[in-house]
Amino acid sequence: MKHFQSPTRRRFLSWAALGLGWVTQACQPSPRSTPKKTSTGEIELTVMIGAQEIPTWKPVIEQWEAQQSQIRINIIEGPTATNLVEDLYTSAFLLGESPYDLIFMDIVWVPKFAAAGWLLDLSDRLSEADLTDFLKADVAGGRYEGGLYRLPARTDAGMLFYRKDLLAAAGYQPPETTLELLKIAQDLQVQKKVRWGYLWQGRQYEGLPAMFVEVLAGYGGFWINPETQDVGLDRPEALNALRFLAETIAAGIAPSGVTTYQEEETRRMFQNGDALFLRNWPYVWPLANAADSPVRGNIAIKPMVHAPGFASAGCLGGWGWGIAKSTRHPEAAWQAVQHLCSSLAQKQIALSYGYLPTRRSLYQDTEILQKYPFFPSMLTVLESAVLRPPIAQYAQASDILQRYLSAALSKRMSPDQALKSAANETRRLLGKKT
Amino acid sequence: MMDSQSAKIPTIVQRERRIGWLLLAPALLLLTLVFAYPILRAIGQSLFTQNLGTELQPQFSGLANYARMAVDSRFWQSLSNSAGFTIVSVAIELILGMGIALLLNQSFCGRGIVRTIAILPWALPTALIALAWTWIFNDQFGIVNDLLMRMGIMRQEMNWLGDPTLAMVALIVADVWKTTPFISILLLAGLQSIPGDLYEAHAIDGASPWQSFWAITLPLLMPQILIAALFRFAQAFGIFDLVTVMTGGGPGGATEMVSLYVYATIMRYLDFGYGSALVVVTFLILVIAVTVITVLVQRLRRNLA
Repeated sequence: MKHFQSPTRRRFLSWAALGLGWVTQACQPSPRSTPKKTSTGEIELTVMIGAQEIPTWKPVIEQWEAQQSQIRINIIEGPTATNLVEDLYTSAFLLGESPYDLIFMDIVWVPKFAAAGWLLDLSDRLSEADLTDFLKADVAGGRYEGGLYRLPARTDAGMLFYRKDLLAAAGYQPPETTLELLKIAQDLQVQKKVRWGYLWQGRQYEGLPAMFVEVLAGYGGFWINPETQDVGLDRPEALNALRFLAETIAAGIAPSGVTTYQEEETRRMFQNGDALFLRNWPYVWPLANAADSPVRGNIAIKPMVHAPGFASAGCLGGWGWGIAKSTRHPEAAWQAVQHLCSSLAQKQIALSYGYLPTRRSLYQDTEILQKYPFFPSMLTVLESAVLRPPIAQYAQASDILQRYLSAALSKRMSPDQALKSAANETRRLLGKKT
Repeated sequence: MMDSQSAKIPTIVQRERRIGWLLLAPALLLLTLVFAYPILRAIGQSLFTQNLGTELQPQFSGLANYARMAVDSRFWQSLSNSAGFTIVSVAIELILGMGIALLLNQSFCGRGIVRTIAILPWALPTALIALAWTWIFNDQFGIVNDLLMRMGIMRQEMNWLGDPTLAMVALIVADVWKTTPFISILLLAGLQSIPGDLYEAHAIDGASPWQSFWAITLPLLMPQILIAALFRFAQAFGIFDLVTVMTGGGPGGATEMVSLYVYATIMRYLDFGYGSALVVVTFLILVIAVTVITVLVQRLRRNLA
């Protein structure tokens, strides 16, 4: 009763065992890479930043590391697209044991990340006095249900760019109201001074509601009230706001393709000299004033136009720093956040990259004003900035509005019907009776 | 004693069978890990509500996600968008691909170079191609509008990506351009395996090339056509990158595909339960569609033969 086993078979079995061992080992989570305290007692903090942002932050971080010997910041290079960076952070937090201690956050991520319980509440660490220097809307953008989860490091707001040379030649003052904008644009188009009157972003994407909240607020309307969860999209103000946008297309003030444009398409056309007015973000300023720009020196900015009797509003964007709840070094991370949002760091970044600081005092800084004399006019835009609704389900709410605005602008639905459907769907999302 | 022992000694057949299973084991294990586990996991997850409302904790909710899907117009719209896109683009690709394959199968001067060039669109990254097509279809600067207006076909610029139907047409054009080479290469390989004497014999019998195509080429090429169609069907149904870059699902959701909706539900809304239900239903629909195609093609083949 000899148990037969050929040498070949034995060899095969040992290979199979080896293979299985490899497979099972590969399935186990790799050992945590948390010897974060290096041998010299330094603490290493990890953060992911979109690749294009790294040149901005690296000098600031390196200088800070040179000033103290306890904390090092390890920058992981992320993709350039904001939504991809958001996805990577999301996956890292979902899988647990996130490798990130610090988070460099876009303003619209805050409610979702906070609601998911991924962020550390910073409100105990700051007094109201610590926050007075920061722009109000930027701080508000870091709050969620009473907590503060993000400290703003730079800000951004939608604004109106215009061709001051063309306006001056035609004897016009820059427009305050939507009606003035339509009238001036049409007049200069009829006179063949300029091809297009007004450019904005109408593609179905996040930029569409960002642009729309400005017009909406300029007509005295609102999207979602974060406190009461009321939805204002089927009110007459929203309809008027949408009609204004549709009117620009119907009257030929904006090309019909404006419903497919994002920021870059509109920026290129404006910079090319093909448009009188442009709604866009401050990043346009240095590009449109670059040495090779055909409109260099002929442009100016002002707060968004609004309906008669109402006030201007710019949609608030911007980036800031938060701390992951799962970090093992909350104190070190807090020190880092404080430094990265400090006047010193913001000034350095503003001087070398022209980004807008979130601290009011920097808008009076002589060095900054010398380099960017237009900063104070930006401040007026920033102080009138409106937030997109800071609710946990913002992504859904934004998608609903995007779809129906886009449907109305591409004439798949009437504005009235589109806004009613958008309002009802948003109410369903928020668990309200429709 | 003797009996029980002889029962324990495996016969040659048994041993062969055991070795067979053993040899299959790694592949089976891999298949289970890679395919079965995620599918079962998705089915399991679809029975739970797990989203920001439940603080990302799973709560059993039975078939609630499926009930929600039944009245979710966005899901049905994206499903019909995906189906329309898939059927039209794969049909065009098959016909064009067949034509190109027949052409490349002829011997002519510089055939090698032409073959290499023909596959180029397939080799380029989709996201880049999509960006290029976005500019090609741009209403102001796009070459499509420019060409059509110069040729006098249109008097006014068309807003390709801003019109629900035209946006779908633009997506199909871009997809056809990109993936037809894949089909033609597959079919070309099939064509080259058909012996030339079949055509000669058929021609001697007095058949025209057109008759030969239907009597010889098409039936013998059926396996390749089926493979190409199935591959493209699955790929086109899951199209993501092209649409994301060119239209983002717009205007007004007219080009939103199922894949974009699933991605948004899971990655952006963090609604895992509902997202899983979407995946499960889409998966089932795909399996049914693929089965139907296979059966139809087999029947067609039998009829042709």
